[in-house]
Amino acid sequence: MEDKEILEKFANPDSRNLAFNQLVRKYQQKIYWHIRKMVIDHEDADDLTQEVFLKVWKNLENFRQDAQLYTWLYRIATNECLTFLSSKKRKFFLPINDVAAELAEKIDTSVNISGDEIQLKLQKALLKLPDKQRLVFNMKYYDDLKYEEISEILGTSVGALKASYHLAVKKIEEFLKQD
Amino acid sequence: MNNKPKNITLSELPKHNVYQVPEDYFDRLPTRIMERTAAAPQQAWLPARMWQGMRVAMAPLILLAMFVGVYYFTLESQPDQQAINMAVVTDTEIVDYLTANASLESADFAELNTIQNQELTADFLNVSPVAAEEELEYYHLRDTDY
Repeated sequence: MEDKEILEKFANPDSRNLAFNQLVRKYQQKIYWHIRKMVIDHEDADDLTQEVFLKVWKNLENFRQDAQLYTWLYRIATNECLTFLSSKKRKFFLPINDVAAELAEKIDTSVNISGDEIQLKLQKALLKLPDKQRLVFNMKYYDDLKYEEISEILGTSVGALKASYHLAVKKIEEFLKQD
Repeated sequence: MNNKPKNITLSELPKHNVYQVPEDYFDRLPTRIMERTAAAPQQAWLPARMWQGMRVAMAPLILLAMFVGVYYFTLESQPDQQAINMAVVTDTEIVDYLTANASLESADFAELNTIQNQELTADFLNVSPVAAEEELEYYHLRDTDY
């Protein structure tokens, strides 16, 4: 179902639930994986994905169609991730590196994570990046979003995003060279 | 054999998702979300939401406005009320009241001296020279030095 059709059906109280169910089914994986790559842990990603869709449910009526629906969903998911990670740092009085170390440990120990050595090392390299730079990298590298779309999601200029991405790639490749 | 990665660029790496989800996770997720939406009210239309927020902020302002209004209303109505009350009192009643209750003290006459220096007219004082002389004689004030 096209986004436009979902929104039209959602505007009608009789077909609202059906339309929202379609929306969830259409975007759940994109949103979940976007969140999962940021918070690493499945349980956290599951909670946040549900929170994102609850916020969408509450606010979809006010969604202005001058933006794409999926960029709006990404923006909500991104904000949830950043809020979650910053509250995690505040809650445990942890500096950024300690949160990254905690997440890196999950990569080694979680039953829901598997891959060869270089792939796991890539994930640990990503955790060395600041949260916003990690977001940019994930959206460009894994989700294949255009810079213009990422710009709409993050509210950052395309030029700044390009610089951020290339710097991230450089940092990651440096990390991968290390033993 | 040495499997340690050396000088690897990102473009050489296959994009592999190392994360997994429990079995049937994405089949069950929509149902779980829909269950939660059933209990979650949707946001009201924007002006309605704004009004809900403003209601709380406006409460102390309305209270303050009420106090100010009551204060000014009381302030403005008081002189009028007094004027109305005095208007219905006859001259006879005023004279009777003053005769029965008013008592003059020497300090009151001291004020008269001050008034005299201000060159107030006899009309304002509303007392004839003869009456004033009589008062001074009566209270033995002619020789009193203030």
